[in-house]
Amino acid sequence: MKDTGAEKSCIEADFLDNALVMIAVLGGNGRVLSWNHAAETITGYSQKDVVGSNAVWKSLYPEKEYRDSITQKISGILKTKNSFENFETTIRTRLGDTRTILWNTKKLGKDAASHAIAVGIDVTEEREAMGFRNSVIENASILIAVLDPEGTIRVWNKAAAMITGYSPAEVIGRRDIWKKLYPDPSYRRMITDRITRIIAEQDYFENLETTIRMKTGDERIISWNTRQIGSGGIFHEIAIGRDITEQRKAEEALVAYMTEMTMRLKQPVGIMSTTLLESAGLVKQGILSTDEIITVFETQARNAKQIEANIQEFQSAIVEKNRSIPEAYRTFLNG
Amino acid sequence: MKDIIDAQELEKKNIFLLLSSPETIRERNIEVIREISGRGYHTIVITTNFPYSILSKLYTQSGILPESISFIDAVTRNSLGSAENIPGVVRYINNPSNLTDMGIAVTEVLREHSDKKVCIMYDSVSTMLIYLSSANISKFIHFVTNKLRLMEVSGVFLAVEKGLDPMLMTQLTTFVDRVIEADPAQ
Repeated sequence: MKDTGAEKSCIEADFLDNALVMIAVLGGNGRVLSWNHAAETITGYSQKDVVGSNAVWKSLYPEKEYRDSITQKISGILKTKNSFENFETTIRTRLGDTRTILWNTKKLGKDAASHAIAVGIDVTEEREAMGFRNSVIENASILIAVLDPEGTIRVWNKAAAMITGYSPAEVIGRRDIWKKLYPDPSYRRMITDRITRIIAEQDYFENLETTIRMKTGDERIISWNTRQIGSGGIFHEIAIGRDITEQRKAEEALVAYMTEMTMRLKQPVGIMSTTLLESAGLVKQGILSTDEIITVFETQARNAKQIEANIQEFQSAIVEKNRSIPEAYRTFLNG
Repeated sequence: MKDIIDAQELEKKNIFLLLSSPETIRERNIEVIREISGRGYHTIVITTNFPYSILSKLYTQSGILPESISFIDAVTRNSLGSAENIPGVVRYINNPSNLTDMGIAVTEVLREHSDKKVCIMYDSVSTMLIYLSSANISKFIHFVTNKLRLMEVSGVFLAVEKGLDPMLMTQLTTFVDRVIEADPAQ
């Protein structure tokens, strides 16, 4: 069965009115000829308010400077094309909120009586979510880099710039940052081989530690974690790097202190014990004079005192090097 | 019984690191001195644990001629407050952590005995660890071993086995010609 012309018009009008996107039909000079229900809902301005005049644009873009810049951009586009696509603007609603709208237009007809149809998608929530995501990435205290399938850097956050010394402008859109971070070819090859081996088994790696060379020439130890992100067959790689240089230094210092103090406590105590037992034997045999006995006792007492001081030094070093020690233990260890 | 220090190596003025358990370190000290005295060497003992007077008695008890040994004693003066040096026999230093005084004493005592075949016995690296960091001990032993090589004198550094951390052990190993492990029978 064929639709009659009247039925077709009725269906079209119903479709336009109930579409989930703003649809406005515009005449010359931006005069609104049609304004659908979604346009009413998003802007807060009813058909009655807007149809027949172009005043609504002043209401939607109340700041003159912004409105002029939009008008200028649109005129620029329409000089060469009959339409524009994905043109993003921020409108002010009747309630005073701001919404982000993605516009697509199409000119209908060629003569002076031609109309334009403008379709606006409300992307406010999407943009806010994207802004939030970007802010999280940008302000995270860990290095975040996103690589596209060709290995080109697409995201390089503030922490990445701070840790490496290379700004986003020096890194984004390029693939050579790794050569700068790993300037030694043999070390770079070793790291690449390790990553390739891990990636062959799984699509990500966790806590992979590497030493990078900063722009300043200093070295930092980074613990890397990666994940694939994306969908529809196009995957990006997100690399998250935590600067663990200070942690490693503290651990190494702690091991060095513990080793040093073990050496300076255990063996000397063993020697003291042997010396005292040996001296006791010599006293029993009547070999030692009173002065000699006194000397042995005093020497060993002094050694014990020194070992006590060494233990105190050891405790203080542990407290200094390990910030995670609870306060009560910290006070105790500080003596 | 097999020699602890190889006679030919001693003759070549080699320097040794001699390891021992804490329980047998004194015994090891006496055995080595008896051995090198028997080869006609004069031994300069740097003691940081037992005073000179006791060590001297122990050596005599073990049949070592007192005139074949002289001492740098870092213990007695620290306890008694004062003790007079006996030329050719003992030189006291105020305390074991004073490496400057110890260095001067080593130089002067070596000079006093420059007409003899001399071997230095340092007893012990482990006791020194009570008073000094491993870094300072390492520097001091480097200084002493350099001096011994310049003066063509052999030396033995005593230390407790498993008592030195890998870093210090590596450093000491590079300063000496041979490391003599503790006798497994002990």
